[in-house]
Amino acid sequence: MTMTDGIKRRDFLKVLGVTGAGATLTGCSTQGVERLLPYVVMPEDITPGVATWYTTVCEGCSAQCGMWVRTREGRAVKVEGNPNHPVSHGALCAKGHATLQHLYNPDRYAGPMVREGGTLRPITWEEGEAMLAQRIQSAAGNVLYVGQAAGPTMSGLVDQFVGTVGGRSVQYDAVSSAPLREAARIAFGVNALPRYDMGSARFLISFGDDFVEYGASPVAHQRGFAHMAAADEHGSKGRFVYAGPRLSLTGQNADEWVPIKAGSEAALALGMASIIAGDGAAAGPYASVLAAYDARSAAEAAGVSEATVRELAERFASEGPSLAMGPGVGSHHRNATAAHLAVLILNAVAGNVGRTLHLEGGPNSAARPYSEMESAIRAMAGGQVGVVMVHGANPAYTLPQSSGFAEAFGQVGFKVSFATAPDETSAMADLILPDRHFLESWGDSMPKAGVMALRQPVMQDVPHFDSKQTGDVLLSVASRLGSPLGAVTFYEYLRNAHQAMHMPAMGDFETQWREALKRGVMEHDIEMSGTVPELRAPDTALVFDAPALDGDGDLTLMVYPSSRFGAGEFSNAPWMQELPDPVSKIMWHGWVEMNPATAEARGLREGDIVTVASSHGSVDVPVWPYPGIREDVVALAMGGGHTDYGRWANGNGVNAMALLPAVAEQPSGAFVTMATRVSVSPTGQRRRLATNDGSNGDQHDRPIAPAMALADLGHGGGEHEGDHGPLKELQGGGGFIPVDAEGGAPAAFPLAGAEYGQYADKENTARWGLAIDLDKCTGCSACVTACQAENNIPWVGEEQALMGREMHWMRIERYYEHVDASEASHLDIRFLPMLCQHCGNAPCEPVCPVFATYHTPEGVNAQIYNRCVGTRYCANNCPYKVRVFNWYRYSSENVPDPMNWQFNPDVTVRDNGVMEKCSLCMHRVREAENKVALEGRGTIPGDGEIVVACQQSCPAEAIVFGNLRDPNSRVAQLVQSERTYRVLDEFINTQPGVNYLKKVTFHAVSGGHE
Amino acid sequence: MATATKERGALTHPDVQHLSDVNRDVLKALGRPGKGWWALLSLCMAGMGLFFAAWGWQIYRGIGVSGLMSPVGWGVYITTFVFWVGIAHSGTLISAILFLFRAPWRQSVYRIAEAMTVFAVMTAGLFPLIHVGRIWHAYWLVPYPNSRFLWPNFKSPLVWDVFAVTTYFTVSATFFFLGCIPDIAAARDAAKGLRKKLYSLISLGWRGTDSQWHHFGKAYIFLAALATPLVLSVHSVVSWDFAMSIVPGWHATIFAPYFVAGAIYSGVGMVITLAVPMRKIFGLEAYLTTKHFDALAKLCLLTSMIVLYAYLSEFFIAWYSGEEIERTAFWNRLFGTYWWATWTMLVCNGIVPIMLWFKRVRYSIPALFVISIFINIGMWFERYVIVVTSLHHEYEPWAWGIYRPSIYEVSILIGSFAWFGFWFLLFTRLLPPVAIAELKEVLPPPLRKQAKEAH
Repeated sequence: MTMTDGIKRRDFLKVLGVTGAGATLTGCSTQGVERLLPYVVMPEDITPGVATWYTTVCEGCSAQCGMWVRTREGRAVKVEGNPNHPVSHGALCAKGHATLQHLYNPDRYAGPMVREGGTLRPITWEEGEAMLAQRIQSAAGNVLYVGQAAGPTMSGLVDQFVGTVGGRSVQYDAVSSAPLREAARIAFGVNALPRYDMGSARFLISFGDDFVEYGASPVAHQRGFAHMAAADEHGSKGRFVYAGPRLSLTGQNADEWVPIKAGSEAALALGMASIIAGDGAAAGPYASVLAAYDARSAAEAAGVSEATVRELAERFASEGPSLAMGPGVGSHHRNATAAHLAVLILNAVAGNVGRTLHLEGGPNSAARPYSEMESAIRAMAGGQVGVVMVHGANPAYTLPQSSGFAEAFGQVGFKVSFATAPDETSAMADLILPDRHFLESWGDSMPKAGVMALRQPVMQDVPHFDSKQTGDVLLSVASRLGSPLGAVTFYEYLRNAHQAMHMPAMGDFETQWREALKRGVMEHDIEMSGTVPELRAPDTALVFDAPALDGDGDLTLMVYPSSRFGAGEFSNAPWMQELPDPVSKIMWHGWVEMNPATAEARGLREGDIVTVASSHGSVDVPVWPYPGIREDVVALAMGGGHTDYGRWANGNGVNAMALLPAVAEQPSGAFVTMATRVSVSPTGQRRRLATNDGSNGDQHDRPIAPAMALADLGHGGGEHEGDHGPLKELQGGGGFIPVDAEGGAPAAFPLAGAEYGQYADKENTARWGLAIDLDKCTGCSACVTACQAENNIPWVGEEQALMGREMHWMRIERYYEHVDASEASHLDIRFLPMLCQHCGNAPCEPVCPVFATYHTPEGVNAQIYNRCVGTRYCANNCPYKVRVFNWYRYSSENVPDPMNWQFNPDVTVRDNGVMEKCSLCMHRVREAENKVALEGRGTIPGDGEIVVACQQSCPAEAIVFGNLRDPNSRVAQLVQSERTYRVLDEFINTQPGVNYLKKVTFHAVSGGHE
Repeated sequence: MATATKERGALTHPDVQHLSDVNRDVLKALGRPGKGWWALLSLCMAGMGLFFAAWGWQIYRGIGVSGLMSPVGWGVYITTFVFWVGIAHSGTLISAILFLFRAPWRQSVYRIAEAMTVFAVMTAGLFPLIHVGRIWHAYWLVPYPNSRFLWPNFKSPLVWDVFAVTTYFTVSATFFFLGCIPDIAAARDAAKGLRKKLYSLISLGWRGTDSQWHHFGKAYIFLAALATPLVLSVHSVVSWDFAMSIVPGWHATIFAPYFVAGAIYSGVGMVITLAVPMRKIFGLEAYLTTKHFDALAKLCLLTSMIVLYAYLSEFFIAWYSGEEIERTAFWNRLFGTYWWATWTMLVCNGIVPIMLWFKRVRYSIPALFVISIFINIGMWFERYVIVVTSLHHEYEPWAWGIYRPSIYEVSILIGSFAWFGFWFLLFTRLLPPVAIAELKEVLPPPLRKQAKEAH
């Protein structure tokens, strides 16, 4: 062959083949060859692309909500409330969602370890258990087991274990309702927490009980509260009064705020009770106590006017059914039990016991006192403990220095920690035997009498971490010690326990067990006596006066459990760190709350770092001026200032425990959080606080979150009505055709002139939209975290959050309309969950040069990440500012392995340089549409078949998703309400698909925006 | 025409005796560069290094290295883009519109102005690329045939921008080159070696024949006519980037004329800034006389008044509309977080040019130079005010936020001047900085006659 012949086809192909193969080979690196093996034998219960759901029980706090866990290809990707569960009713709080980040926490212990000369050496489980068994043997009965609220079977196993090996167990709950339990015992002789039936009440007064944030059952309480406090279709609404020195998130939901002096709950409650009880006969044995508190002395003690006390008492008695709730953990002072007792007396004299307050069937929540722990510390310090085992609790962090825990614990010869992930206590332990996360474990729970829920592993244990369920460890160690506890695995132990409880009347055990696992809960009818107990005379001396406070500072310190971190156990979850605190809206760092007048008097501005000092210690923390706190009180949240808790927790904020003494309240033994006065002095330094609040809670007279007076309901009284004629504006979409700005939306989509193509098919397409009832919204922010979990929204970190780059698709705006910390008055704080409004006439759409954002025929404003170039014009033109931009590769840079296992495979993980925003959970819509189509039921899923992530999570049921075009859908009916408005629609004619129902107030609203 | 030019004060300078003097004086600039030039070039190249380093890092790390955030999605980059597009305006204005209106004083400055235009558009054109999140997909804004039938959104002002800027660049570059041809031929005749070859190539065989002049004249007037509407349209389109939105402070019908006037104002200001040192360095005092500067200053004065009127009418309309959100936006401009930027703008663009009412100031080159610097600063801040203060304080109070430019944005801003300066410096050494052929046209008739005799 010569060149002149030209190249032949065959030769050409040869050359092509060789060079092609060469290119392919050089393209591959010989290093890191990975084998991709398809399933040879399909796993039976995994269908790729189809989610499997498992029920279990949340272990985030002691409320024990039922959970549904969505798993994809064997990985847990989302937790949701289990609708079958009688406590949570399908909702879940923000912390519940964040438990997934504990499961995939990269800081978790990689396996069992032993501390040798200050460093941890990995060992095998065999070695670890042998070591523990040997140490227990040589401790000769001096074993101490420190746990926290756990399921009944696990508690039983622990008791059996310590009983067998010799020793004792104590339970320590950093957030505990011990005073309430003790007060109920004193007043009524029951050894349980009372049950609040908020839903039936019409007048609710909370003396500092922050039931939205923490306590016996935040999710259940919020649901009851929403039933009570939100205006119903008949225009009826219960009234909520908050009496306390600081407005917590719960307090922010009140209709009235009585800013009483710290520790004066008992005085106010007794003053009210004495007015209601009249001659005191209704107060039974407490008549003499009431006699000491007339309206005048109560008013004086509480720092409010006498008229306020009288008025409250009268309304409490007449606007019934009423309910009063005693002080929460943030107000656990030295007389907390007395305060709770006073509130119970108030309920009793108003006839609420047996009506809205029940002494049977109450929650089985954390109520163990600190005094148990106190004695355990004494025992450790006294050298009476040979082996200490810590499981679940983190007392080295949650107890103040002065409790002596750290020293006492350090003196114990052998310290074992069952911590799943490092914490301050395990940092001191000699042996670490990491427990499994609850989503990998077996267990059970009894949130209240008659309800038993099973906890089951929803996935194989995360392979990065060689963990073992503590129940299994205890069983194994017991066998090694020669005294087996009747089961080899905890699963077996659990089944045995349940089989033992099984009554043949309920049918076959196996069937029932399976049913319980499937439903997630077993309910038994329990017999309620139905009798209303009489008040009993106190069997212990109680002081109802204002509590003693340590120190001589001029400000009273309140330390309250954080609604995001609890007592600090959620501090290493970046979702929680970046969730704007529902009250302060601050992310990542800690702050001290101070009334603006107090701050001004000291020349302090937001972000000025001050030294808060008590006689027990001091912390340096930035100031956040808050109008919702009395001038003589400052407040710190728990959960900051971790030192050994993981990469996201360490160094963020301050640990308020440094300021507190270790005091047990008498007689309940609860840990006293309101114990000391503090002084505040400036350090001269400043620190910017990352917040998403751009206007200090002021809506500047704009109708962002308007409200309606209750009196105007039913009179067609939207205050904007009649203000002006219908606006006409020129539309870009589909031609210059004037469109009515008012009235037409939301069914007005598609806009006149755009009715071509798919848009014209009104019969077979939905218009998806939302209705959000602002009268129900409590601002708890569960939806924000639910959305973050569902939609693979990354966190950005404090530095980026400071720049205003947080990625949340939803935010809860919190506007102060009327907050007065100086006297009792109406309170008006508005919450507005802000998310993409899915405008029918969206400003973002025409400006995108590449059609990356466009309107679907279903009326949803869609964002196509792949098409986005990143001009950010859409975000500039969005009047609601709900579009967020990927300034960096947050999803890959911020999310370490295995945290990325949590990513939802149904939702794209967004990369650098693209815009994103609420998709209205389009993947859920598509899933439902596919299902409907496969089942031959048309094209539009029925009402309620699609539940979007925020809606699913909302404990107050404030969010409703549905088809606005279907007149029978719930959302379309809600939109008909006279309270409905669309944010800014009347100004800029955006025709949003998200409709809000105005908050309803008791007071008259004035001004254009109210 | 000749008499008219004389009456209007055409060039009569004692040093310019012959037509060849013009060649000599202008082509002198193309000689061996001095140390100063090299120093400036090095400075510009260092600045370009900064520019590309900052940009490169931004592409590698993400647009997050800027200070942009929510709600301020546009900041220094878009400000600087509009600034450079504005600068680009006076070039075509001076060369095309003033040519059509037969304003003779343009001859001395139009070459500088045109070069400035081309380089300013080259600078401005980088900024849309710099500011997007995914520069590797920026070509999606261009309508090109593709198998997916995906087109840009012709409703988006950003797509109009792509057309406006590319069209403007094409036409102004062509116009610039066309006007250079006779002068390049003159340079070719004076040059030797490689330069001669280069000039020969790009002078397209210009010999100065009658028919060539005839065609040249036709082409020039045709392009001038074509470029004229572009002067108005380009910056109108750029203004619509803002005016087509619903952002309070952007959404205003006044924007197009307001931006065009502002652009001319800033462009003329920049011409003065560049012409003053060039005149000195290249010894062109004979050709760039105070009369020329006086004319430029008058143009500045006129446009500054239009711009000030636009500012005031914006504030007035915001108040008069009674629309609270609009009112707040403008109140916030004056007294909000970025009050300093607004007052800088008002002082530089509204107060400082008042001095141009005085003839003494208009005839004082140092005074004009200082004022022109104020104009440049003021016009940059005008765009900063429009972009940033409007965005940071929009409809939703909760979403208000404060933008702080990062060191990368400042580096790129500074670097853009270096990039512009680099091209401009090359221009001063490679092309005649003053239009030789046209200058000869405006020599007073007696001189022309003399020259003819002398030839």
